[in-house]
Amino acid sequence: MGRVNVYLRENGYRIAGRVYLFLGFIFLLLPIAFLVLFSFQENVYSSLPLQGWSLKWYDKLIDDGVLFDALLNSLYVSPVAATCASIIGFLAAYALNRFVFPGRILTATILILPILIPPLILGVSMLGLLSRLGLHGELYSIILAHTLLLTAPAMAIIQLRLAQMPPTLEEAAWDLGASELQTVWRVVLPWALPGIVGGWLLAFTFSFDEFIIAWFVSGFDQTLPVAVYSVMIASHDTSLNAIGTIVFGLLLLTLLGAELLIIPLFMRRRAR
Amino acid sequence: MTDDSVIPPSNRSLLKPAFLAPPIGYYLIFFIAPLAFLIVLGFWIVRDYQIVAEFSVGNYVDIFSQFFSRSRFGWALIQSIYVAVTTSVFAVIFCYLLAMGIVFCVPERYQRLFLVLAILPFWSSYILRLFAWQLILAQKGVLNYVLGELGLDDPLIITNTQIGTRIGLIHYLSPILIIILYVTLINVNRNLIEAARELGATRLQAFWRVIVPLSRLGLVFAFGFGVIVSFGDVLSGLLVGGGVGQSWLGSYPLYSNMVMADYNSYTNLPRTAAMATIMVVIMVVMLVVAYRMADRARQRQG
Amino acid sequence: MVHESESALGGGTVADLEVRGIAKRFGPVVAIERVDIDVQRGEFVAVMGPSGCGKTTLLRIIAGLERADEGTLLLRGDDISDVPVHKRSTRLIWQDYSLFPFLNVRKNIEFGLTLKRHDKKAVRSKVEAVAEQVHLGHLLSRRIGQLSGGEKQRVAIARALVTEPEILLLDEPLSSLDAHLRIKVQSELTVLQRELGISFIYVTHNQSEAFAMADRVVVMNKGVVEQVGRPAQIYNRPASHFVAEFVGANNIFEGRVAETAEGTVVVDCSHGAVRIAGHRNEIERGAAVELVVQADKLRRRHDGEDGQNTIRAVLKGREFTGSQVIYYLETAQGVEVKMVLQEPFTEGEGTEINTEMELCWAPEDTVILGHRDAGLP
Repeated sequence: MGRVNVYLRENGYRIAGRVYLFLGFIFLLLPIAFLVLFSFQENVYSSLPLQGWSLKWYDKLIDDGVLFDALLNSLYVSPVAATCASIIGFLAAYALNRFVFPGRILTATILILPILIPPLILGVSMLGLLSRLGLHGELYSIILAHTLLLTAPAMAIIQLRLAQMPPTLEEAAWDLGASELQTVWRVVLPWALPGIVGGWLLAFTFSFDEFIIAWFVSGFDQTLPVAVYSVMIASHDTSLNAIGTIVFGLLLLTLLGAELLIIPLFMRRRAR
Repeated sequence: MTDDSVIPPSNRSLLKPAFLAPPIGYYLIFFIAPLAFLIVLGFWIVRDYQIVAEFSVGNYVDIFSQFFSRSRFGWALIQSIYVAVTTSVFAVIFCYLLAMGIVFCVPERYQRLFLVLAILPFWSSYILRLFAWQLILAQKGVLNYVLGELGLDDPLIITNTQIGTRIGLIHYLSPILIIILYVTLINVNRNLIEAARELGATRLQAFWRVIVPLSRLGLVFAFGFGVIVSFGDVLSGLLVGGGVGQSWLGSYPLYSNMVMADYNSYTNLPRTAAMATIMVVIMVVMLVVAYRMADRARQRQG
Repeated sequence: MVHESESALGGGTVADLEVRGIAKRFGPVVAIERVDIDVQRGEFVAVMGPSGCGKTTLLRIIAGLERADEGTLLLRGDDISDVPVHKRSTRLIWQDYSLFPFLNVRKNIEFGLTLKRHDKKAVRSKVEAVAEQVHLGHLLSRRIGQLSGGEKQRVAIARALVTEPEILLLDEPLSSLDAHLRIKVQSELTVLQRELGISFIYVTHNQSEAFAMADRVVVMNKGVVEQVGRPAQIYNRPASHFVAEFVGANNIFEGRVAETAEGTVVVDCSHGAVRIAGHRNEIERGAAVELVVQADKLRRRHDGEDGQNTIRAVLKGREFTGSQVIYYLETAQGVEVKMVLQEPFTEGEGTEINTEMELCWAPEDTVILGHRDAGLP
């Protein structure tokens, strides 16, 4: 520990700090804990006291089918949108990293802007355009809209990785006789791969969790958050706990990937 | 120097247009065009359930004529801004202290584990987390059950108020803010803290005079992010805040919820577009203010 | 610019590389003002100069990574000025080697061979042959991260050599190695270059590297070639003030020409007259000149020695470097004098700091720099 804890070396502060950490993490993790807990309980109305263990909500989930179908829709929409966003994001990140051109800063700003604009606004404007073009109300409408939302985060993560690439790496490939395209394919892409995968996972998560854009542009085929919303405003359905647990388990796997790929990008300085 | 930061094998690199065309093209069609069209659409009208491309300020006249009366768009806007700003303040304080706890009270090799735990909620569905908050905070929910067991008979009313909205939002914002503020704090030069301590500053003085000023940029960034996200969010206000959440301002819905509800009940896209355009204007003002604040913080931080 | 040895090594054949009037600016900054260099086939040329002198830019221009603003490059007689980097048969070795970290040693080495249609078996045997040549045979399946600095350098060289370049360009390849490894790698590189028989252009700021390895040394300063010559020529006969200061430990005395006679020149300096033997160029009486005397040519004068140049100076300090001792002295007129001796003075010779002593050197060991009347006060 050494130097790190100089500021709070004394016991009073450290104990206070640890108590705060404990309470803070309870707040952060409590909803997930209850979601998982209630999904395995008999309770029809999910509250205390507990009434015993059961898997009936998972059965109901499969019997009802609505949420399950929505989950499958999401598992189609999100990977496709994340893939499109990662491809566009990589192209943009590479161009911004390597080329100097008039309007470069403006381009970089516009490319990152969708993160800062409320998805509600994106949703309304996307619906306005897509309905005009007759492209709304389908699953691919969501993909088209989500790709825009996801390009910026995917690009940002890939840019982090590309910024760490020593510029001589590309030069070395050219010097050895590789054309520019060969260099991108055989040197830049392998180098950027952790960033691309990390960006993809982040994009996937964003898309999988996105509600309002999908709500505006989708039709009868809904993604999971939209379907969950429909169920939630209709009645209290305890099988929501079950789908929540499944989604959490699913996303935990992407978290594992992201933890291995994204966080190191923030920790490392540019290698030169 | 030539045009390119790194000299390419061929002087006029074909890769530049090839790589820039897809992102720029996509953004022109699916970002610039929709936003531009949104503004245009706000001036169109609906006749016989069909959108008619006919210039009219009718939507805006309609919205502003009942701004503080029947539909209370104005009150909703004020409610939205009030909730967004207070939510962001609470979220930043909560997350800043939590990030400090991780940086200063957790051994370095466990810090990463704590960070992963902190962003765990981010990797579960937001809407389902709000469902869980409903269960916890409801009048007959988990929290009130525990309080009842402890002998407190009056249940706490949190759902259907803007306090509930804020809890949902803070929980949503926390993972991202913790990361931002953690990165800010680990970049604060530890020697400066030690130097302040050696010069006789108490811990509290070192906190206010060294740590906080040096994390000003991160704090401003986190705050701005919190306001923007909270202002644009629809789910928390709808599901935990109950749509027409109570606050001391009164029972006004959030503006974002009004936009959504308005579209849901009338399917009058031009009118919704006009409402969204008003939101865009406010967002632009917010972004400019946030940018100015960040710029000042950057200058003062040196 | 002085090219002393071109005729000695040229031999009338087409040079491997001819650099003709190359100039390069980065915005307002002039990186290379104008450079002409010829590199003969199989020659080891070191380009030496302080950082920022333009030597790396020159190398990058030759490799094709930068474009010169003016001038032409001829490779074995062909103009390659407009040939893009990936179509040139030059190969560059970077200071940090720039190996591909996501490929193992074998994949790194074969990179240049797998860019076009290729026969896998032929590539394999070629890679193995080159790896053997640079003693990497046992490391082919290693990851780059597992290699030492010296091994990485050998991979970089093998990766370049396997593509059969006509010229190998090396950018300070030893600077990221440990001191004890450098000497070893220096001799390995020279041996390798002799074996291969291709030209090396080797950029460095380190004169001992340049002198130890190169057939010819090009000294650059501020984008201009100051001198080209064999190491001994550069060392013994510096052609400019800059070279005299940059190379070795030289004393530089300013003075005016007092007498010129058959091969002998007498120059009046602030500490007295200096006789120079063996100066061949025309020189005018009264011209302001600079004299260069290498610090290791000075020694202490013994009584009864005549025919030497002498100088009286006060000992100000000394520095023991292991193989030799550097003495710092100062004349009554305030001119600094450096003297390098292989063996230190013995005790009790009257060698305490602040004692005055008389030093001497032979007239033949004095070099007159190209006299620049305007350049001296």
